[in-house]
Amino acid sequence: MSLVWENMVFSIIAFLILYLLLRKYAFGPLFDVMEKRRALVQQQMDEAANSRTQAQTFVEEQKQALATARKEAYDIIEQARQTSARQADDILSGAKEESVRLKEEAARDIESEKNKAVAALRNEVSSMSVAIASKILEKQVDEKEQEQLVGQYLKEVGDKQ
Amino acid sequence: MHSAPIIQLGGLNIDLSAVFMLLVSMIVVFVLCRLAVRNLSVENPSKLQNFMEWVVEFVQGIVGSAMDLKKGKPYISLGLTLILFIFVSNLLGLPFAIMTETHHPVSIFGQEIVTTSQVALDKLAAEGKDPHIELLWWKSPTADINITFGLAIIVFVLMNYLGLKHNRKHYLKHYVEPYWFFLPLNIIENLAKPIALAIRLFANIFAGEVLISTIIKAGVFGVPFLAAWQGFSIFIGALQAFIFTILTMVYIAQTTIHEEY
Repeated sequence: MSLVWENMVFSIIAFLILYLLLRKYAFGPLFDVMEKRRALVQQQMDEAANSRTQAQTFVEEQKQALATARKEAYDIIEQARQTSARQADDILSGAKEESVRLKEEAARDIESEKNKAVAALRNEVSSMSVAIASKILEKQVDEKEQEQLVGQYLKEVGDKQ
Repeated sequence: MHSAPIIQLGGLNIDLSAVFMLLVSMIVVFVLCRLAVRNLSVENPSKLQNFMEWVVEFVQGIVGSAMDLKKGKPYISLGLTLILFIFVSNLLGLPFAIMTETHHPVSIFGQEIVTTSQVALDKLAAEGKDPHIELLWWKSPTADINITFGLAIIVFVLMNYLGLKHNRKHYLKHYVEPYWFFLPLNIIENLAKPIALAIRLFANIFAGEVLISTIIKAGVFGVPFLAAWQGFSIFIGALQAFIFTILTMVYIAQTTIHEEY
């Protein structure tokens, strides 16, 4: 093995040519593509992070909306319950008043009917007793004496009772 | 001992096998790379593109281990070319070798091959040997110390140039450190780097090829050893390409980057 300087020169030239060719036709495009892919991955990761934060915000918003809706529903139910309770009370008290009123009316009616009946009876009794007395006594009695007499009898009857 | 087919052309000694094998290596590497980047795709890379990207990332790892990857970016192409060229060169001599045996002067392209000249044959005869010369045509280009020296010279020139360009003050200062009389030692150290690079690569590959040709002489019995050694040689070839590349990067890093302590 001997040193041949021409070979060294050839190998240097060969290597330099190969280096320039590869850099221009192979590595340049390859590096570009790798760089593009790196950028793409970076971009996708950024997007993923973005959408995750967005999703988190949405979830938070949804939670809040849900909580609001739940509260509103509760309020509505509560309100309905109160309304219904109030209405029930109203109906109940109305019914009570009505019944009381009806009872009182009925009592009043009964009272007045009774009075009427009593008055009618009294008239009847007085006229009948006049007839009876006139028949029995067959004697003329004037109106004033008769009334006095009937009153006296009735009083006696009332006292006996 | 095999000789190189050297012709004289315009006063230059041209080693035909070296030129030929260098061309073969260049073409193989270039075709491989062109195939890999034929249908470049960002989202759906082909298998070969994937492989090439793996190589690029591997070299990025090498550069990154020697220096800051941001500063080392321009050297990635260099490292890629080095590792691919040396690896392919190392493997070329493994599958077969082509040699011719001659007992008389041979000429090619109308030029006489110097190594088979009558003078050389006469010299062999005078030494009492069989006057024949074996010419080695197909071999690993890196099994030739001249080729590896060429590569090492590139590294040597590059590292010193880059040192002077990017880091002049500290690069010049390191020659007289720790004391001025260390100057000769530092110069020798600097010169030893490319020599070690060249000889390491050459010796590994050359020894591998010598052993292959030795095993072949054992005939049929040598086949299992040959298979084992060729497998191991692939490993050696990859390893030497890797070592050459990483040492290049380390040397460049040493001369160009001044770290603040």
